[in-house]
Amino acid sequence: MLLSTPRSSADKTAIKVAVLLSVGSHPLTGRGRRAEQDARALEMALALPQADAQLIHAGRLNDESEPALRSYLGMGPQQMTLIQQPKQADVLPALEKHLRQLGPKLILCGSRAEAGEGSGLLPYLLAEKLGWPLISGLAAIESVDGSSATVLQALPRGQRRRLRVKLPALLTIDSAAPVARQSAFGPARRGQLAEVDAPVQMDTEQEGWEVQPARKRPKRLKIIKATSARDRFKAAAAKSEGSGGQVLKDITAAEGADAVLKLLMEEGVLRVSS
Amino acid sequence: MSDIIRRDPRKAWIARNRLHPEHASVLAELGMGDAQPAQWMGPNGVMRKDPHRVGFIGPAGIKRIDRSGVQGAPGQVQARSTAAQDTRTAVLIAEPAFHIVVVPDMAGGRLSAHDRDLLGLARQMADKNASAQGAVVAIVFGELKEDSWGEAGIDRLLHLSDAALEGYSPEYRIAILSAAERELKPRYWLFPDSSLGGGDLGRRLSVRIGERAATQVWQVDLESETPRCTGRGAAGRKDITRDLPRVLLALAECGEPVSDTRHEAQAIQLQQPLPEQLVRIEDLGAVAVDPASVALSEAEFILSGGNGVRDWDGFHQAARVLGATEGASRVAVDDGFMARDRQVGATGTWVTARVYMAVGISGAIQHLQGIQSCDKVIAINMDPGCDMIKRADLAVIGDSGEILSELVKRVDGLKQENRDVA
Amino acid sequence: MLNIILPVLIFAALALAVVGAVRRISLWRQGRPSPVSLLAGLAAMPRRYLVDLHHVVGRDSYISNTHVATAGGFVAAAVLAILVHGLQLESRILAWALLAATTSMFVGALFVAKRRVNPPSRLSKGPWMRLPKSLMAFSLAFFLITLPAAGILPHGFGGWVLALLLVALVVWGLGEMFFGMTWGGPMKHAFAGALHLAWHRRAERFGGGRSTGLKPLNLDDPNATLGVEKPADFTWNQLLGFDACVQCGRCEAVCPAFAAGQPLNPKKLIQDMVVGLAGGSDAHYAGSPYPGKPVGEHQGDAHSPIVAREGKALVDAETLWSCTTCRACVEECPMMIEHVDAIVDMRRFLTLERGETPNKGAEVIDNLIATDNPGGFAPTARMNWAADLNLPVLAEVKRTDVLLWLGDGAFDMRNQRTLRAFVKVLRAAGINFAVLGNEERDSGDVARRLGDEATFQSLARRNIATLAKYSFRSIVTCDPHSFHVLKNEYGELGGEYVVHHHTTFIGKLHEDKKLNLRGWKGGKVTYHDPCYLGRYNGEYEAPRAVLRALGIEVAEMERSGFRSRCCGGGGGAPITDIPGKQRIPDMRMEDIRETGAELVAVGCPQCTAMLEGVVEPRPEIRDIAELVADALIEQADAVDATAKKPQVEEALA
Repeated sequence: MLLSTPRSSADKTAIKVAVLLSVGSHPLTGRGRRAEQDARALEMALALPQADAQLIHAGRLNDESEPALRSYLGMGPQQMTLIQQPKQADVLPALEKHLRQLGPKLILCGSRAEAGEGSGLLPYLLAEKLGWPLISGLAAIESVDGSSATVLQALPRGQRRRLRVKLPALLTIDSAAPVARQSAFGPARRGQLAEVDAPVQMDTEQEGWEVQPARKRPKRLKIIKATSARDRFKAAAAKSEGSGGQVLKDITAAEGADAVLKLLMEEGVLRVSS
Repeated sequence: MSDIIRRDPRKAWIARNRLHPEHASVLAELGMGDAQPAQWMGPNGVMRKDPHRVGFIGPAGIKRIDRSGVQGAPGQVQARSTAAQDTRTAVLIAEPAFHIVVVPDMAGGRLSAHDRDLLGLARQMADKNASAQGAVVAIVFGELKEDSWGEAGIDRLLHLSDAALEGYSPEYRIAILSAAERELKPRYWLFPDSSLGGGDLGRRLSVRIGERAATQVWQVDLESETPRCTGRGAAGRKDITRDLPRVLLALAECGEPVSDTRHEAQAIQLQQPLPEQLVRIEDLGAVAVDPASVALSEAEFILSGGNGVRDWDGFHQAARVLGATEGASRVAVDDGFMARDRQVGATGTWVTARVYMAVGISGAIQHLQGIQSCDKVIAINMDPGCDMIKRADLAVIGDSGEILSELVKRVDGLKQENRDVA
Repeated sequence: MLNIILPVLIFAALALAVVGAVRRISLWRQGRPSPVSLLAGLAAMPRRYLVDLHHVVGRDSYISNTHVATAGGFVAAAVLAILVHGLQLESRILAWALLAATTSMFVGALFVAKRRVNPPSRLSKGPWMRLPKSLMAFSLAFFLITLPAAGILPHGFGGWVLALLLVALVVWGLGEMFFGMTWGGPMKHAFAGALHLAWHRRAERFGGGRSTGLKPLNLDDPNATLGVEKPADFTWNQLLGFDACVQCGRCEAVCPAFAAGQPLNPKKLIQDMVVGLAGGSDAHYAGSPYPGKPVGEHQGDAHSPIVAREGKALVDAETLWSCTTCRACVEECPMMIEHVDAIVDMRRFLTLERGETPNKGAEVIDNLIATDNPGGFAPTARMNWAADLNLPVLAEVKRTDVLLWLGDGAFDMRNQRTLRAFVKVLRAAGINFAVLGNEERDSGDVARRLGDEATFQSLARRNIATLAKYSFRSIVTCDPHSFHVLKNEYGELGGEYVVHHHTTFIGKLHEDKKLNLRGWKGGKVTYHDPCYLGRYNGEYEAPRAVLRALGIEVAEMERSGFRSRCCGGGGGAPITDIPGKQRIPDMRMEDIRETGAELVAVGCPQCTAMLEGVVEPRPEIRDIAELVADALIEQADAVDATAKKPQVEEALA
């Protein structure tokens, strides 16, 4: 009653979907949590009717990471495979080995991690190693059959593009995908973390890196290519934009509409060409 | 045109009359202005000015000389505009020491601001060593509208267009980039780290050529012994500084766009034919998305209605015509005019639209909090004293229904015009 | 003949009643265990009934008097009937007493019948319409049958026709009053009600006490179901409490969600729990339904989920999420039923086990977990509003007299005005106070009302640990929700504090003559009682005293004090946001407008936000702290004034 009954892996019609999950980090407090995009990936797998979702995390299990990992289990699945890897390890070989054993049709993951390097290269490396096609920026999976999947890719402005990809394939999910369901405390606490040993290969390249808290990026200065002193002075003394807007009072509706139209055209949000 | 020289007696008269307001421009038109310039370098190296030839007649009928030379000096108009044309120096790099390849996004078929920043960075890297200048190669795909390649700092342009390159074709594009890697052996690959396009292609290429890309790069330090770059990591919470790898995925404003030089943008071709591609990802085309139904948090242009909206049909029609996503204030939602998922504000959705148009919304604190990251806010409201007006970049005081219907008329007109042109 | 039939009937009815009682008790015992002293409870029951229950019933004197006559008459008549007719004790005195008792009961029944002529909509109909007639049948039958025993009429009077008629009446009366009492008729309320009073889960409520804090959920056992999934997951005495409901509908009449047309009716909810306890469908329910939800579509039993994952079960989730936890229903319930406890218990299951907190609920909970405040603001920004105030921070000063608990209003621009005003008042009174600053976290109120006991306990334990590092005498807060949680709900987790609401504190400052206030010059003012200050903590007087001190005569709303109507902001209701026909704050603003007030004084950031959300024009909303701060005659002015005077005198001299 409590949890949705998991589809048994013996079920032949079920499509095995591996979801790669990482430990996220809250943007303001840095506290461990389920990574936003990974959670959406899991949501997508759980919402897929014929999917047999396999949760996989490669990393360490400790007091810090456990609540974050368990919060994925709070979304309903009963088990997560935990590939033990030390800090600073290159998880790629371990993941590749495990995924080859598991043999999923689809691998879903967020487009980049919220902690560590967060370069977003891992899915690409994995796809390259496995020789699978990869689609990034997924918004929805429309349908999956034995040999292919039809998916929607998110484009800017809420636009979507329909793609069909041959299976097996790797799909990365970004923030346009549906929001992950709530993680419930009870199932999160009861879920199993099945630990698996795996080969460890350290990521030595990172040793040469300097990692610091993000500095605020300098605001780009408007470079004034003025020929005269007066122009340069005027540019420097000009009021910055946005300090108090323009208020049009006592005008006709037509004049008002003109003013609005002008701004809309300037901002380029109006598409009159189609 | 006939070759007979015709004399305009009026202009001749003006050319003789030094005090005539149009004297200078007529003089210039007749080609006589150059005979005696308004200012010239004197024999002692001092700038000399002919006070008769500079300045303009002010509103009180008195001659004024604006020493900055901006205002109303008719005699100089022509000279200035020619000067503006030619400040860029043309640069030719015939024998580049190395190549830097940039793969711009070309959103909408044009170089985006992000692309230009990246080209600026590429330029910087190519020009670092004046004795061994590199060439910036841009690889672009598909149908394009851009025509200022050289001004953006591109020395060589590899443009491929092919039916198979339209739409989402990352695997084909990677095959092309791999071929370019073999032929050009670029010293660096630069991609804009955008969510689709460069961010995707760049990662694919880096994986294909086995080079660990630096991502989210916002600073490149070319001055240090070995060039280093700094990029964001950990979802923007960390800065990672490392030696510059061959593949760079850079953020917007990573460099200054090129503005002083003009480059050759010489078209080049790949030497080797491309291998046959196995299509594993098939683009089935764009999906029609109703702008009104786009999630508020994703929307770029929001038309939001509040308590002051009387004519909701008109409002919905305006949203449709403007192609705007619909939003609403809490009150409009509570009153049942809009669905709950359309509510903007601290208690609804926080929006990040480029343009947020608030119609009949007075601007409760919670609402204003929800729109704080919108670029431009337009307010249409009856009450000039409300808080939304204070927040707005453009506020129109008046009846929202009328203004919206006027706006709809105009946009419809524009669409009609465009259709006629097409 | 009657001499034979009557004892048989009476003892048969009693026997059936006992069987019914055993069956009913076994239904209650499906619930989870709950530690209650059975004997002490039974011993305390008469007093709880006569004093505490009638204190509530007495708010409606008509029904109170009616109930005394009817119930008193019935209890006496039943006992005497057993003695006189069951055991055939030949006693004129007993017979006369029985006559008196039945008369009293009959008169009472007449008044019950009168109430039922045009019953208000809050009353349930159905079997309840039959009850006055049954009461009359019982009292009339036993009156007539007793007449011969009292010697007024000869034995055998009226022949067998009358005897048969009387027997029929007696059967009806006994059926309703004895059999029906334990088998589920309207009279069940007497049986279940008496035991419910005896074994109430909150014994502290009786004898003038107050017990409003939610009971903590034991999170130690990872395999236990958290919260209430099935009716059997309630404790047995909660189930008993549901069974005690008389369906008087007083809860319905005061419920803000019901009035707003949200799908909640506290009475129906309790009746649904009774349906769940015994099994069946709600088709027999004869009162007002949940607004917008027809009766007869829901069913369940003790061991099936109350809320279905899909489709319908006993109750829909949105019914549970409509509640603002304002406690108006609990305050009004003459049977002392704990609606809010039940609702939160069921919410706990939905949130902790199902992860189905609706609308913004999930986001708010995630924010609380990740940032310790419901808005998801950076915890380091909690003190930004006071950047210019130089507030002493406990991390630096370590000890203080008064700890000012800011609450999450510190992130809200509107509430920051209140906080600034209160700081001004504290400074004017020369109070030695400090704040926790960025070390403060959300009190856990919202998390707990949304059913997320885990997050509540986590926040509470960390807050308690932080508070344990410092030394202070008391805590003052401008937020009644924090006030309630700190005062009443931290205790069970090991945090005992002296906590004051700012209005209480200002009241004390004024009594101690520490504030120099100028008189009120504005218009008419009314006061809105926050639920968590009033009903939860019984503080009705202090805010009014402060307003009086300002020279304000409060134009009271019809619903004020313990009957104050909720603003709609409690219990996470604005977060779960269940749609209704109108908004609760709009209704409350209507109450305010009716007084003709130009300004409404409030004492709660939630109430302020909800009431200010009402479309203008509307009365102005000001926190009492703001009113006091505005009326302060600054010490500096006063000092200046006194300092200047002697100088002038010197000059004159």
